[in-house]
Amino acid sequence: MTPSDPIIRLENVYTAYEGADRPTLTDISLSIGKGEFVVIGGPNGAGKTTLLETINGMLPITHGKAIVCGQDVRGDGVQVRCRVGYLLQNFAFDPLTPFTVEEVVLMGRYGTIGLFRKPGKEDYEAVQKALQMLGIEDLATRPIGQLSGGQQQKVLMALNLARNPEVLLLDEPFSNLDMFAREEINHLLARLVRSGVTVLIVSHAFDDLPDGSVRVVVMQEGTIVVSRECSPKEVEQVVRSAGKGTSHA
Amino acid sequence: MLEFIIQNNIVCHAVEAMLFASVACAVLSVIITQVQISSIGFTMAHAAFAGAALGMFLSLNPTVCSIVAGVSVAFLIGPLSDKARLSPDTSLGLLFGICMAVAIFFIAYMQTLGQGFSAMGLLFGDVISLYREEVYLLAAICIVAIIFIVVLYKEITAIIFDKRIAESVGIRVKPVYYAMLFVIALTVALCLPIIGGLLLYVWLVAPAAIALQFCNRLSAMFVVAPTVAAIISISGALVGLEHSLPVAPLTAVLFSVVFIAAVLLSPRRRVTFRKT
Repeated sequence: MTPSDPIIRLENVYTAYEGADRPTLTDISLSIGKGEFVVIGGPNGAGKTTLLETINGMLPITHGKAIVCGQDVRGDGVQVRCRVGYLLQNFAFDPLTPFTVEEVVLMGRYGTIGLFRKPGKEDYEAVQKALQMLGIEDLATRPIGQLSGGQQQKVLMALNLARNPEVLLLDEPFSNLDMFAREEINHLLARLVRSGVTVLIVSHAFDDLPDGSVRVVVMQEGTIVVSRECSPKEVEQVVRSAGKGTSHA
Repeated sequence: MLEFIIQNNIVCHAVEAMLFASVACAVLSVIITQVQISSIGFTMAHAAFAGAALGMFLSLNPTVCSIVAGVSVAFLIGPLSDKARLSPDTSLGLLFGICMAVAIFFIAYMQTLGQGFSAMGLLFGDVISLYREEVYLLAAICIVAIIFIVVLYKEITAIIFDKRIAESVGIRVKPVYYAMLFVIALTVALCLPIIGGLLLYVWLVAPAAIALQFCNRLSAMFVVAPTVAAIISISGALVGLEHSLPVAPLTAVLFSVVFIAAVLLSPRRRVTFRKT
């Protein structure tokens, strides 16, 4: 897929939460190619998480067009979500949560398995592969609630990788991770991007981004104010300067 | 069904009814407690109670009316919260109050009219005067509840784990969630005459709460909860009928005792140190 045939295409998209008086996202146009690494920055409440949830069809689009993985998000968000991984932010599970790590990671496959069907051999193999990618295969039989915040974060990451996603949306993936785990995840993300997975990441930590070209998207008050390519080292600079004044590039 | 073990028809029907009702409520209790919709179960139980009272007042089938009321409330909660911009908790509080008001109004009105209706059966249950058809109906809802969980096990477990994660992996959360509410409403309405509107809540929460003290896995909870509920309910029925005690309240007390014991004995709450 070339940039002229993007994997994510948003055209003049407006999104509103149910019951809201005004749209949360306003006139968003964005085109992202296969295998791109996109960093989404901006102040709190700028609409970064809303943008991710719009892309995977979890929020209603009130106006505009959104095509993800060749599917119209407005038509069938469920089909899109079967091909897009989404790591939600701020999760902490109760110690008595009755699910093992393996069971949680297997849930990543449920959408693709379909209704009334049981997980098969290939689903369990995908789970094992995802656990190995994150180096947590030894935690497979442990209850998720008894793990540390960083380990839980890795389990949720594995849940998304088990789906072999074409697009990976990550909302603050480093929030619970120590510096070693951050490094591991960054290596993993670089490997995924090289294999053609498109990664969109909302983060406030710009110091450990994978090597290679990065697209920075800066949001303010529900709209995109900057969208440009740069090197990983320039990301923080771009986000900071966008915060001082809007500069379309 | 159990006549080959229990010769007395009344006792046999009571034991069968308690067995089927407890198993149906217990498997659903795992969903109710883990999805944290116990307030919905509570409100549905009272809606079914109101429906039954209204049915009696209008000389309609109370069971059918309680099913309609329970299901209606289940489907009203979501839209009411969304449209009135209320938290689900507030919507449930409101619906619970309305249901209780409706039930009490019709019971009081019927007494004023001298219709001699006693609300005791609906409030605290009655296992003595059961017809064979009622027992069959309970057996049917027990089977429906089990099949529902077996068939939609993946979807239900994902929703129990986290609704938003379930949605993000491509599960159609809303239809499954509403199907859950429908099966709960149906079960509540059919169990209401034998357990009672005020006590039903115990059957919808206690079995899972007991199972959670011993189970690390959800699949184990779906086995332990109905097993424990069946043992307690059958014991309650046999002891209650033997000593002429009210069966449903006695069983509810037994559930409470077992729950307290489970919390005290739970290996999941025990902290152990091993010297290496």
